[in-house]
Amino acid sequence: MTARRLDPALLLVAPAVLYLAVVYAVPLGLLLVKSVRMPDGFSLSSFVAFFADPFSWRVLGNTLRIALWTTLVCLLVGYPVAFALARAKGLPQTALLVALILPLSVGVVVKAFAWQILLRRDGLVSGTLVSLGIVDEPMRLLFTETGLVIGAVNVFLPFMVMPLYSVIRQIDPRLMEAAATLGAGPFHAFRRVLLPLTLPGAVAGIAFVFSLSIAMYVIPSLLIGDRFQTLATLTGRSFLFMRNERLGSTTAAVLLAVAIAVVMGSGWLARRMGAAR
Amino acid sequence: MVAFLDIGGAEKRFGAAAVLQGVDLSVAKGEFVSLLGPSGCGKTTLLRIVAGLLAPDRGTVVLDGADILRLPPHKRDVGVVFQNYALFPHLSVAENVAFGLRAHGRPAAETDATVAKFLDLVRMGEFARRPVQMLSGGQQQRVAVARALAVGPKLMLFDEPFSALDRKLRETMQIELRRLLRDLGTTAIFVTHDQDEALVMSDRIAIMNRGAIEQLAAPAEIYESPATAFALDFVGLSTRFEGKVVACAGGTAEIETAAGRLLGKGNYIPGARVTVGVRPERVRVGGALEPGENGVELPLRDAVYLGSKLLLHFDLPEPDRAVAEIGAAGFVLPAAGTRATLRWHFDDTLVFPEAPAP
Ligand SMILES: Nc1ncnc2c1ncn2[C@@H]1O[C@H](COP(=O)(O)OP(=O)(O)O)[C@@H](O)[C@H]1O
Ligand SMILES: [Mg+2]
Repeated sequence: MTARRLDPALLLVAPAVLYLAVVYAVPLGLLLVKSVRMPDGFSLSSFVAFFADPFSWRVLGNTLRIALWTTLVCLLVGYPVAFALARAKGLPQTALLVALILPLSVGVVVKAFAWQILLRRDGLVSGTLVSLGIVDEPMRLLFTETGLVIGAVNVFLPFMVMPLYSVIRQIDPRLMEAAATLGAGPFHAFRRVLLPLTLPGAVAGIAFVFSLSIAMYVIPSLLIGDRFQTLATLTGRSFLFMRNERLGSTTAAVLLAVAIAVVMGSGWLARRMGAAR
Repeated sequence: MVAFLDIGGAEKRFGAAAVLQGVDLSVAKGEFVSLLGPSGCGKTTLLRIVAGLLAPDRGTVVLDGADILRLPPHKRDVGVVFQNYALFPHLSVAENVAFGLRAHGRPAAETDATVAKFLDLVRMGEFARRPVQMLSGGQQQRVAVARALAVGPKLMLFDEPFSALDRKLRETMQIELRRLLRDLGTTAIFVTHDQDEALVMSDRIAIMNRGAIEQLAAPAEIYESPATAFALDFVGLSTRFEGKVVACAGGTAEIETAAGRLLGKGNYIPGARVTVGVRPERVRVGGALEPGENGVELPLRDAVYLGSKLLLHFDLPEPDRAVAEIGAAGFVLPAAGTRATLRWHFDDTLVFPEAPAP
C-alpha cells in the first residue's frame, strides 16, 4: 500500500478549478498569446510599440487616476458607513444592509443610465449643488472625470463597505473603552486602536474597488464617452470596433499586469499586518 | 473618614428596568472595597458610571474633591481592568502597557522604564515582546493589571477580573493583587460575585442586591452582623427560619417558626413577618438547653467532613434551612434521621424584617 492519499480539500475545490480553467484560464491564455505572437514567430514588439506611443501612457494614466480617485472616495465614504453598519442593531442594521446589497442586483447599465440623467446640466446633482450655494450656476458633470468617479463610487461602494464591515464587526467595543480609560482621547484611540485593527479590511476593500475600477467598461462608456479612453475601454474598442486584435490583447495584458500587481500587493500588505498583530 | 471617592444617589434605568436604584458609596484613599452581589444586580453598571463609560440618570460622582460626572473617561484618571481583559490584540505585551503612557504623552525613556517596572511587578517581564494572544488567561490578566496601573490612576476599578481563572490561580492572583495595590497605595473598587474572594481581599465589602447597596462594612462585620436577610444568605453559611412575630416587649421579639418559638432582638409589631438567622459556628448540637439560649429539635440529614470540622445539615422544608459547624475531634456522629437539639445564644440570633417584594 502506498501512503500517498489525496487531500480531501482538493476534491472540494476541484469543480471550481475545472470550471475556471475551461472558461477563464484557457481563453485568457489564448488572448495573452495573441499579444506576443507575430506572423513570423513570437516577439514583444507590440508591447514595445504600445509603450512607445504617448497616447498609451495617457490611457494608462487615465485608468490609474480614475481608479485611484474611485478607491479613495469609496474608502472615505465607506469607512463611516461600515462603522454605522457594525454598531447598528436590529431593524436599522437590516435596513442599512439591504440599502447596500440591494442595488447590486440592479444592472450596471441601468445604474449608469440613471447617472446620465442625474449628472446632466439640468440634473439633480447640479441642481442640488446650486441650491446649496456650492456652485453659482448649473454645471454639467456628465462626460467629466468627476461624473465618472461619482458613478463608479456608487457602483463599487458595497465592495469597500463589506470587507470593512466584516472586520469592524469582530472588534470588541471594549477595546475603545479600555483605550479611553487609559487616557487616550477619541483621536488617539482611533489612530492607535481602530485604524490598525481595521486595516486588513481596508486593504481588502481597496483591492476590490481598485481592481474593479481599473477594469470597468460600461460605466466609462456611458458616463464619459469615447474621447476619454481607459485600458478597459481601449481593449473593448480594439476588439469590437477597430478589429485590432494585437492592440486589444496588448492592452488586456497590461491591464491584467496592473490588476495582478494590485491584488498581490494588497494581499502581501494584509498578510504583513495580519502577522504584526 | 474623608471620602476619596463619593458616589451619591446613583440611578440608572435601561428601558423599564431600574438597574441602579440610588446607590451611595464612599471609599477612603488607599482603601480596597469589594462590590459583592449576584449576577445582574448592577455591579458592572455602577463601575461603568464611575469610569465615565455610562452616564447615570441621576446622582453624583466626586473623586478627590472634584466632580467628575461630566468628564469624559480619558480625563477621569480612573483605571479599569475589564472582565474579559480587553487587551489590544495588535500590540505586544510591552506595547499594551505602554499604550496609556504614550496617550499621556510621557517621554519615551520614561515610558520604557515605567513599562519595565510594571511588567516586573506583575512578573511578566520576560514576556514583554510576546503578542498578547499567545498568553494564558492568567498572564493576560497580569498584563491588563499592569497596563491599567502603569499610568498611575487615582482610582482602580476591577470588574470580576479573576472569574475566568481556575481556583488555584485565582487564589494566587488575589493575594498578589492585594499586595501590589497596598504597596502602591492605590484606591480600588473590586467587583466580584465570589464571597470568598471579597472576604480575603477587602478592607470593606459592599453587599449589592437589585441595584442597591444593602450593607457596607468590614468583612468580619458583614459576616457577624449582616444588615439584611440577603446579606446573611449571600455571605457564608447560615441557619435561617421564616417566621412571624407573635409578641414583642422590651426590645425582644418572640417569633413563631416552623421549628418552634424563638427569641430575638428588635422591635416589631406582632404579626410582622421576619427572617431569623444564626451562623453555623454559633450553634451547639446536643446537650441541655441553657438559660438565654434558643433551641430547636431537628432530624439530621447529612454530615460533611471538612478535616478539622464537621458541617451538619438538618432537615427542614424550604426556604428554611439549618446547619451547624462543630469540631470533628471526638464527636460521635449520630445516624442520619436522628433528631438532635440545636441551641445557640439569644445574642447570636439575627432577626431581619421581611425584604420588600421585588
Ligand atoms: N446596555 C444595557 N442595556 C440594557 N440593559 C442592560 C444594559 N447593561 C446592563 N443591563 C441590564 O442591567 C442589569 C445589571 O447589569 P450589570 O450591571 O451588568 O450586572 P452585574 O455586573 O452585577 O452582573 C442586568 O439585568 C442587565 O441585563
Ligand atoms: Mg458584570
